[in-house]
Amino acid sequence: MRNNIPSNLTRRDFLKLGAVGAGAALLARCAPQVASGPATLNVLVPAAPDPAPPGVAVFSEEAFAKWQADNNAKVVYEAPPWPQLHDKMATNFASGQYVHDVIYMSGWVPEFASNLIPFVDDLPKELVDDLPASSFSTVTWDGKRLGVIFTLSLLTLFYNKAHLEEAGISAPPKTWDELIGVAKEMTKDGRYGWVLNYGAPEGIGGVASYWMCFLQQAGGKLYGADGQPSFNNEVGVSSLQAMIDLMPYTDPGAISYVGINDATNVFTAGNATMMMNWPFMWKPANDPASSKIVGQVATDILPAGPAGSASIDGTDAYTITKLSPNPDLATKLVEFYMDKEVQKRQVLDTGWLPIRLSVLGDPEVQAAAPNAASVLEQANFPYDSFVTPDYNAVTTAIGVEIQKALQGQKTAAEALQDANDQVTEIVKQRG
Amino acid sequence: MIRAWNNENRFHRRRFRLGVFFMLPAVLILLVVLAYPILASLILSLQDIFIASDGIHGRFLGFDNYTRLLGNELFQQALLRSMYFTLVEVVCVVSLGLLVALLLNTPSGRHAFYRVVLLVPWALAPVANAVLWKWIYNANYGVLNMIVVGLGLSEENVVWLGRPWLALNMILVADIWKAVPFIALLLLAGLQNIPTYLYRAARLDGANTWQTFVHVTLPGLKTPLVISSVLQSIWALKVFDLIYVLTKGSPADSTVLLNYLAWRETFSNLNIGYGAAIADVLFLLMFLLALAYIRALRPRRALLNGNNP
Repeated sequence: MRNNIPSNLTRRDFLKLGAVGAGAALLARCAPQVASGPATLNVLVPAAPDPAPPGVAVFSEEAFAKWQADNNAKVVYEAPPWPQLHDKMATNFASGQYVHDVIYMSGWVPEFASNLIPFVDDLPKELVDDLPASSFSTVTWDGKRLGVIFTLSLLTLFYNKAHLEEAGISAPPKTWDELIGVAKEMTKDGRYGWVLNYGAPEGIGGVASYWMCFLQQAGGKLYGADGQPSFNNEVGVSSLQAMIDLMPYTDPGAISYVGINDATNVFTAGNATMMMNWPFMWKPANDPASSKIVGQVATDILPAGPAGSASIDGTDAYTITKLSPNPDLATKLVEFYMDKEVQKRQVLDTGWLPIRLSVLGDPEVQAAAPNAASVLEQANFPYDSFVTPDYNAVTTAIGVEIQKALQGQKTAAEALQDANDQVTEIVKQRG
Repeated sequence: MIRAWNNENRFHRRRFRLGVFFMLPAVLILLVVLAYPILASLILSLQDIFIASDGIHGRFLGFDNYTRLLGNELFQQALLRSMYFTLVEVVCVVSLGLLVALLLNTPSGRHAFYRVVLLVPWALAPVANAVLWKWIYNANYGVLNMIVVGLGLSEENVVWLGRPWLALNMILVADIWKAVPFIALLLLAGLQNIPTYLYRAARLDGANTWQTFVHVTLPGLKTPLVISSVLQSIWALKVFDLIYVLTKGSPADSTVLLNYLAWRETFSNLNIGYGAAIADVLFLLMFLLALAYIRALRPRRALLNGNNP
């Protein structure tokens, strides 16, 4: 049956219309391009609440608008959720085409080193001198400084002081033994002593990276001076054993939590007493809209193993791509992100600590973020994240074996032996 | 006579050329969006790929990536898990879909409301569906645990995604929930195509409900059932979003299926050639299923052409 659409439009009319449209498009392409508008900077960063710059997170908005006006620049953000960042930059770089000028990185600088430019020497000396020298370790590859860390993001201990006080415990655990002891005592009435997200094996914030804290606390390192894996020994086994010993007092759901927010929700609901977390958690944990434990949260450095305390670095950095048509303007934008006032608003409004030493020392910052003191103290101890070009593959291999050990499928020694074999193979392929 | 034959021949040639001309855009589009990616993936799978400042570069390896993956324990496990996942999903989805279709085909089930409600899971965006199930399965405050503990089926919360075998099956449940509506509607359309006189004849012959179902309904649904099974097999083999959101392949790689493994090797570990080889194995499996799908349609076409006895 025919419908009632007017039938005066013929196939020929459609073809003519198509030809006219194509011709118009061609003419538009041939028209001279007027280059009078602001220069566009394309920036890839994570969506808030992960560490995000002004324009994505809500802070320093006026200053950001002024910077764009002053520099005749228009910043266009692409801000996917954090877990999608690596895939996006991998596909963009694989295309060989210019897509972004400035890119947020977290442990991926060695992996994409050939796509980035060393721009740190172009930043004002006063700015670079105000950054901890150690902050460049994870963004330096082949002797080139390819990024700038913009937040002091080390894992520290977060604990519920009300829970401890209820049990008559006056101070947070300082050693592994104390950690396990306190966790055991806190595990009762549907509450657990410890919670963390052990569900995802790979990357910064995956179970392998958490184990790296324990490894360094035991005095171990992931790689030896020869670049080969150096964790399959007594020190490595003791570090994994500490995590296994903590499991009876860990929220059983931990093995299924794939993101830090899953674990954070348990802690802020008051269902767990202790966890290690990034500095950002201070703010949501004290926000009545998202937390049931407002005023009960305290922080300290991570409990010490045989070698002392240790942590890992979140390595949140800004980098500039090699294909950027505006590297100078991109450098200026990074300089703006690192401005003292912007850094200050970053911590006051979003909870992500600054990295500039002068801002960290600001009394207003210290009053608003009491956890800054713990993070600064934590920075006195090792916090290597052991990033390499194959960091995801390495941490996946180790993380899966750690999960097997945490679930009792393997002993700590067996798991590390198998992880060692796999990492050795990856290192061999690295060449 | 010869002139008439020549004219007819010319007419057919012109008609054929015109047909080819009008088909060209569709053929070109298919070449660009289907043939090129398949070919590119095959070429990638024969190389060791690395990302340089000007894009990807490769070193020809021949079939090394395929040899490597065939000897890889994780790949073998992922293949077996994918086959298990597909088999169970097809059986469950087609059975449940048939049950729902039968219910919707009754006089009381014909109200449009039921069909609209039925479509909700299918209409949900895949990631939204995955997030929904993430909340349902949450070990600490998930609805499922509230129900299970509330009914006294378990004294404590169950970590649905924390044990290897259980986690895989919970992902299956979530995927089945999403897949049933489409298959149910497909089978409902098939049910409504069965001539009613067959049911009347069966009743006259004294057939009971079960006999009518076995001897009238099932044979009448043969083609839709085969199509449903093949389509669902292809979709089950491709499952990715649920794994990505719910478990990331955990615990201990127990929910790593082929598609997820291909993603992990390609985009997370940047083993692009190796990841392409895994994707190509998956493609081959789906291609075979697609052939089965085409074959399933063939008897119907023969029937329409009057070739069936």
